[in-house]
Amino acid sequence: MPANKRATAADAAFVITRVFDAPLSLTWKAWTEADQLKAWWGPKGCTIEVASLELRPGGFFHFNMRFANGQEWWGRFLYREIAPRQRIVWLNSFSNPGCGITRAPFAMAIPLEILNDVTFAERSCKTTVSLRATPHGATDEEIATFKSMHGSLEQGYGSTLDQLAQVLAQVSAKVSG
Amino acid sequence: MQADQIDRAFAALADPTRRGILARLSQGEATVNELAAPFDLTQPAISKHIKVLERAGLISRGRVAQTRPCRLETAPLQGLAEWIEAYRHLWEDSFERLDAHLKSTQAAKRKGRKDARK
Repeated sequence: MPANKRATAADAAFVITRVFDAPLSLTWKAWTEADQLKAWWGPKGCTIEVASLELRPGGFFHFNMRFANGQEWWGRFLYREIAPRQRIVWLNSFSNPGCGITRAPFAMAIPLEILNDVTFAERSCKTTVSLRATPHGATDEEIATFKSMHGSLEQGYGSTLDQLAQVLAQVSAKVSG
Repeated sequence: MQADQIDRAFAALADPTRRGILARLSQGEATVNELAAPFDLTQPAISKHIKVLERAGLISRGRVAQTRPCRLETAPLQGLAEWIEAYRHLWEDSFERLDAHLKSTQAAKRKGRKDARK
């Protein structure tokens, strides 16, 4: 794993993997070209209007999500790492029309920024896409605190959100039970 | 749930020991000593984990007696679970569309090649 493992390894991650019946070249384009991204990415029922797409570390994909009822939500990807045809790391958040970061426009407990790490691998003309998403925020500070406390935290990480979901399921079973 | 509390809650959940503590507390109140037992950690280390969970609003501690038993605060956890479900839906839906998009892109490409050969 690359050097930035530290940034994600400690997090409770959401993981989703899917094999697409398309070669890597096409799949990569679908993730990195504005007119293709807007064709598939986004919440259900919205039309994406791309304000800008600058595919480089520190660049933004800034977009407007328009819904049938006239509602508009702005969002942005802040790219952190781009390894052509291999990997994209970015921070996803809601934004304002000026590309400034904002909280979610609805009442739900959502982290301000979500760190996404997607990798691509081709095999027999099919492309496996694996996405890992982790809440981003106070995490770095927390990691540092606990690192200084004891050095053995590396082991036992790599836990997925499924584990977290398990805990949550237990918890909600208790609540409703 | 306050915005900064959400971030704190997610950070708190990032650690497997802390998730273990929450799982234990879902079965009922427990003292710090009881919580420390299943983990190979010192009591001060467990106390730090508990403080993180408490600051994040995921647990609360009794005022009575020296032991100050810990108890789970379920409301924020349910709020967080909601987000996870929403994010999963977002990506599942998007991947459905990406699948369809790639299929049509490929079909168009094949057709283009076929037409070119004519």
